[in-house]
Amino acid sequence: MNYDMEDTQNSAPGSLPSAQASKLAAPRKGPDAQSTTKRLQTELMQLMTSSAPGISAFPSADGNLLSWTATIEGPDETPYADLTFKLSFAFPPNYPYAPPTVLFKTPIYHPNVDFSGRICLDILKDKWTAAYNIQTVLLSLQSLLGEPNNASPLNGEAAELWDKDPEEFKRKVLGRHQDVDDE
Amino acid sequence: MFQPQATPFSFNAYGVGVGLSAPGAEYPAAFQPSSSVTDNGGPTLFRDPIFTTHYNQNPNPNPNNHRHNHNNHPRQRYTMADNGMNDMDAQEALAREFQPPLEGPLVGEKKSSAAITAEYARADPIYVAKTANLPQTYSHYRPILGDGNCGWRAAGFSYFETLLRTGDKAVLETEVARMTSLNNLLTVSGGFESWIFEDMVEVTTDLLRDLASLVQTSPQAASALLEERFNTPEISNTIVYHLRLLASSWLAGHRTTYQGYIEDVAGVDGYRKNVLEPVDNEIDHVGMVLLIDVLLKPIGFAVEIVYLDRSEGTSVNTHILQSEDANGVPTNPGGPMIYLLYRPSHYDILYKDSPPIPVQPLPQVIHTPSLQVQRVAFSQQQHSVQSTPMDFNLDLHGLLTMPGFGGGLPLQQSHHGFSTHYTSPIDRTYAASPISSMSPISPGASSATTPSSTTMASYSAQPMMNSSLSKPMVASHPAYTQNTTIPVHSHLPPHPSHPPALQTHSIPPSELPSPSSAGGSFRPSKYEWEAGWAHEGPVQFLTSTFKNSHYNTAHYNNPNFQPEEWSPDADDPLPTRKRSG
Repeated sequence: MNYDMEDTQNSAPGSLPSAQASKLAAPRKGPDAQSTTKRLQTELMQLMTSSAPGISAFPSADGNLLSWTATIEGPDETPYADLTFKLSFAFPPNYPYAPPTVLFKTPIYHPNVDFSGRICLDILKDKWTAAYNIQTVLLSLQSLLGEPNNASPLNGEAAELWDKDPEEFKRKVLGRHQDVDDE
Repeated sequence: MFQPQATPFSFNAYGVGVGLSAPGAEYPAAFQPSSSVTDNGGPTLFRDPIFTTHYNQNPNPNPNNHRHNHNNHPRQRYTMADNGMNDMDAQEALAREFQPPLEGPLVGEKKSSAAITAEYARADPIYVAKTANLPQTYSHYRPILGDGNCGWRAAGFSYFETLLRTGDKAVLETEVARMTSLNNLLTVSGGFESWIFEDMVEVTTDLLRDLASLVQTSPQAASALLEERFNTPEISNTIVYHLRLLASSWLAGHRTTYQGYIEDVAGVDGYRKNVLEPVDNEIDHVGMVLLIDVLLKPIGFAVEIVYLDRSEGTSVNTHILQSEDANGVPTNPGGPMIYLLYRPSHYDILYKDSPPIPVQPLPQVIHTPSLQVQRVAFSQQQHSVQSTPMDFNLDLHGLLTMPGFGGGLPLQQSHHGFSTHYTSPIDRTYAASPISSMSPISPGASSATTPSSTTMASYSAQPMMNSSLSKPMVASHPAYTQNTTIPVHSHLPPHPSHPPALQTHSIPPSELPSPSSAGGSFRPSKYEWEAGWAHEGPVQFLTSTFKNSHYNTAHYNNPNFQPEEWSPDADDPLPTRKRSG
C-alpha cells in the first residue's frame, strides 16, 4: 500500500476511494493522519503476530486503514458462548489521542448495547487513553459480555432479565443473534 | 485485563451514533463557536475535543449563542440518524456530548499581563485587586488553551522554553539523551510497551534536537519553531501525551511517595488510568507535582505556581516546587524558574521579564558589623532567589503571608513578641511535620490565616537590632545554649527589660544543630555559605531584588518554610477532578 503523505489535501492512504477520502478530508489533515496510520499498522502487526484467543481484527477490505472489522467470540459459560460477534471500528484521524468508534454489527442482546449496536463502555469514552489499543478494547468488550454493567444499562430489559431470569435472557440472546455477511 | 465499566446511560447515545462519520460534520450551526467565547471576563473553563479545528471550519457561527457551557441545551435542529431514539433522547444526548469549541491557539502569544488585569476588570473585588497587582510582579503571560490539557501543555511548553533560555546547545542535547533514557521508566515502571510510546518520544526528542540546532545560531528561530510545534495539534498533543505517560510511570515507580495524596478509590493504578492517562483530562495537583518531579526537578528547574483565586488578600499566593535535598535546601538555588498561573481548573504561563519595581529599602539592616548573623541569612536568601525577584508583596502583608509561619500551628504560641518559632528547638519540633508533609500538594492557596503579631514583630525587630543590639555575636550563644538545655524556653514569660528575643534572633541559624532529628527540615549550612558570602560587601544586600522580596528575613531561618501557609482544602487536599483546564 502506498502511504505517501505528501499531498496534504488528501492525507489518506493513496489507494483510498474518493468516497472515503472526502470523509477523511473534513477533519485535520497532515502528519497526524500519518502517525495514526503508522500506529494502526503497528497494531495490525501486533494482532497478526500475537493475537489473543477469541478476538481478531483487520482493516476493511477497501484498504482504508481507519476502518476495521473485528470479531469476538462469546466467552464460555456466558449466555454468549459459542456465538461470534462482528464489530466495526472507525478510527478518528487523531487516533490514538481520541478513541475509536466501535459498534456491534452483529445484533446482540446485552444490557450495555443498544439495538443499533452502540456500546456503553467508559474506556471508549472519557476514560480512553492512548495506551489502549484495538486488542485491549476487544478484550474489554469480551469481558463486558460476561460481566455487564447493569447499573447503567442501554437496554433496561436486558439488565433486568440478566439478574431475574437467566433462562429468558439466554433465549433472547439466541433469538436476537444472527450472522451478518461481510460488507 | 480491563474490567469494563460502563458509563452512565446518559453518556452514550450520541457519541457513538454520530461519531461514525466525520467528527463535527453534523453539528448544527448553533454548536459553532461564537465570537464571544473568549472574552467573558472569567477564567476559561471549557473543555474541548483535542482538535478544535474540526469545528472551526464551519463558516457559520451563530452569533446569538452568547456563552457556551455544558448545560447549554440546544433547541435547534439536529441531525441524527434513524436510530430509534426519540427526539428528546437525541436532544439530551447532543447536549451532553456537546463540547464547546475553543478559539485561539493551543499556546498563545506572549503578551503583557496587563491583559489579565483587563480581563478581570469587571470581576469581583478580590480578583480586581489581585490582578491589578499581578503585572507588577509578572510582566508577561502566555495563555494556554483550556482544552483539558492546559496544565500539561503549559508545563511542557515551559520546559522547552526554559531549555531554550539557557542558550546552551549542550543542555538540549543532554535532554535528548535523558528523554530517551526515560523510556526505561515508561517500560519498567509504567508497564507500557515500547510501541505505544516510541512515536511520542520521537516527537519530543525531534523537537529537542531541532531546538538544539537553532538555539545558538538563531535563538529567535528556535522560539518560533517551538511555538509552531506546540500549536500544531498532532505534535503538541503527542508531546503532551508523552508527558502524561512520564508522570504516570513516575508515579508507578514511586508509589509510596505519592499514594497518600491520591484519593482515587482505585488507588495508584486507578488514579493513573482514570486521571493521568485519559486523553484531554485535566491535570490535578498531584499530577502537576508528578510532572514537575519527573520532568523539571531532575534538571534543576523550579516551578512557581501562582494562584489566582477568590481567597482573601490583594495579591496572589504562590508556591514553589523545586528540587530539595533531605534537609529541604534547594539543590539548585538560583536555577531557572518557571511561573505558572493557576486559576481554578486552568493553567497559563507567567513571566518575569521586566525588573521589579523598586520600593523603600528596609532600614539599614545590613550594615552593622555585629549582625553577621543576619548577613548569613540574607546571603542565602539572596542567592536562592536571585533569578526570581519578588516584589509583589511590597508591604508587610508579604511577611505576614509568609508561609512557614504556619497559621494554626503551635508556632503562634511564641511568647516573646519576637519570632521565637525559628529559634527555639521546641518550636522547630512543633513546626516539623504538618506543613512540610503537605508540600507535594498545593491546592488553591489563601492568605486568610495570617499569623499576625508574631510575624509583625519579627519584622520590626530587625531595625531594632541594628540600633539597640550592639552586643557581639558571642552574647547570643549563652542564650542559645539556654534554649537547648532548657527546652521549655518558649514557655517562659518575656523579659521586658532585656529582650531575650533579640538575642535569640541574632543567633546564627547556621549554628543551630540540624533539626533533622526533630523531623523538620533546616536550610542553612554555614559551612557552605558563611565563608563565601559573609566576606562580601554589604552592597549586594541592597539590591532591589532583596529589598522587595517577601522572602526577606526570617523564612530561611524557619525550618519549615513553605511559600504558602494555609490551604482552603487542607482537610481535603486533593480537589475533585475537573474537566477543563
